[in-house]
Amino acid sequence: MAEPFAVYKSPNEQDREFKVDSTSKRYQTTNGQTTGPSAYVVQAGQVDVDKPSDPKKDENGDYTYLSKLRMGLTGLQDDINEFLTEQMEKAKNKKYKQDDEIRIKGEIEKLLDGGDDDDDDENE
Amino acid sequence: MKSARSPMLAHTLYLEVPFEDSTQAEIAVKVLEPDPILRPEDFEVDYSSKDRNLCISFKSIDDRVLRVGVSSVIESIKSIIETIDEFK
Repeated sequence: MAEPFAVYKSPNEQDREFKVDSTSKRYQTTNGQTTGPSAYVVQAGQVDVDKPSDPKKDENGDYTYLSKLRMGLTGLQDDINEFLTEQMEKAKNKKYKQDDEIRIKGEIEKLLDGGDDDDDDENE
Repeated sequence: MKSARSPMLAHTLYLEVPFEDSTQAEIAVKVLEPDPILRPEDFEVDYSSKDRNLCISFKSIDDRVLRVGVSSVIESIKSIIETIDEFK
């Protein structure tokens, strides 16, 4: 069967293609790893009332086309979510680094300016 | 949902979902299209169908907004697939 796919593009990253590997268990479930309530709240006793239904089987016991599509899409969603979370982390670290560089540069300039002031005072 | 700030929306994702037939793909477009975009200046979605494929183009101001928007739309698509599968 044809599988869903996605292509990501951004100015800072190489293009990234997301494909379904129907032989992998990641694409054989309707329960995504990056969706639904967190493990913490589930352990605390919360019941997931929005849990997706299990994949449907036909009279021969095979998964229906749409169930396979839903499972493939669930795995693809996990791939996209994990990738974009990594990208968010990279962007955050880059911003911290830039903020740090600006702060250090500002402090150095302040110190140098202060030094000049002291010299001026002494000359006066 | 188009906005005047399209050039700013440089983070993009194209998603293609192959349904069983063109009718299902068209139903999916009709179900998804009315969903309002909360911040159209930061995020755009364009839905269309080609043969039996649902084609979606996402454009976003950054990866954070893209992640939230894409995952939300995929959740909706999974619900549409589940519903069609249940009632056909």
